[in-house]
Amino acid sequence: MSLLVDMMRDAQDPSYAAVARQQPAAREQPAAVTRRRARGLLLLLLVGLATGTAAAGVRAGADDAAATRTDLVTEVSRRTAESDSLAADADRLRTEVDSRRRAALDRDTAGRAQARQLAAAELASGAVAVTGPGIVVTLDDRPEDAGPVAGLGRGGQLADGRVQDRDLQELVNGLWDGGAEAVTVNGLRLTARTAIRSAGEAILVDFRPLSPPYVVQAIGDPSRLEPDFADSASARRLASYAEANGLPLSVQAQDRLELAAGTVSDLVAAAPEGP
Amino acid sequence: MIPFLALVAGVVLGLVLEPTVPAALQPYLPIAVVAALDAVFGGVRAQLDGIFDDRVFVVSFVSNVLVAGLVVFLGDQLGVGGQLSTGVVVVLGIRIFSNAAAIRRHVFHA
Repeated sequence: MSLLVDMMRDAQDPSYAAVARQQPAAREQPAAVTRRRARGLLLLLLVGLATGTAAAGVRAGADDAAATRTDLVTEVSRRTAESDSLAADADRLRTEVDSRRRAALDRDTAGRAQARQLAAAELASGAVAVTGPGIVVTLDDRPEDAGPVAGLGRGGQLADGRVQDRDLQELVNGLWDGGAEAVTVNGLRLTARTAIRSAGEAILVDFRPLSPPYVVQAIGDPSRLEPDFADSASARRLASYAEANGLPLSVQAQDRLELAAGTVSDLVAAAPEGP
Repeated sequence: MIPFLALVAGVVLGLVLEPTVPAALQPYLPIAVVAALDAVFGGVRAQLDGIFDDRVFVVSFVSNVLVAGLVVFLGDQLGVGGQLSTGVVVVLGIRIFSNAAAIRRHVFHA
């Protein structure tokens, strides 16, 4: 403490007092006084210059960071737009292929039979848009004004009140369990080859990042789907976790849902077993 | 008044011209500025006390800047540059505050 007290008391450089004691009010040549004053002014100018330079340097650094950020944001939106337009192209081409194939198969009986098989396979694999009754489950991150999270999260870590890939997996598994026939997450149709996973803090479905709220739509027999889903082990786990952590979770029955087609890529290596 | 104007002119010049500081000296510039400000406040207080002396001012100014830079340089070599910078800023900050308080008493008699 005495160090701090000394520092406060002796803030004044003691040499000023020492010099003043040694030469009380010595008269000097006017020229020498002017020279000394000029030297002091020069020093002050230097202090100002250094201050300004340091401040300018800090500002330049902040500007650089802001510029980099802006560049990145622009890059992200450009790439997203590019990806969107490519997806639209792919959709258009797929429709074209479909209609050409249908026209080609429509020429004879065998072709028509194959077309029916193809349509059934497409329906089962999620390659076509479907409509029907079902339920909509909405899950969101914990609202920011809801106060701190009380419980522990998964694996003993502190819960952060954010929906994670595991929650969505539980939700979707519960829906399959309840007899759902087609499921979309935020409009992305789940197929046999769709993964729900996370990368960093984002949840990826079909390798596309989602942002909350997460809306899961499922088509299925309305009299079975809702109670069976609510009763499934996954849904119960999710519901208790959501309640403990304040994640808003709602289930809504709908008479008519329209689910988009999923991306079904051709199988290259896998072939049916048998003769 | 004129010394104050010189200070302001320096700040404006620095902001407008943005002189390039050698990269090796860049980390020490902010510390040097704080040390120099300490000398300036000490000088102003001495002026108001009536014991200002140019020679003492110049010597305290130069030694302040050099010592502060040296301490931080040494800290950088030892891997505690950030902590030592904080220490220098705290000490000089306390001195600037007490000198500023003394100046305030002189000027406003309060």
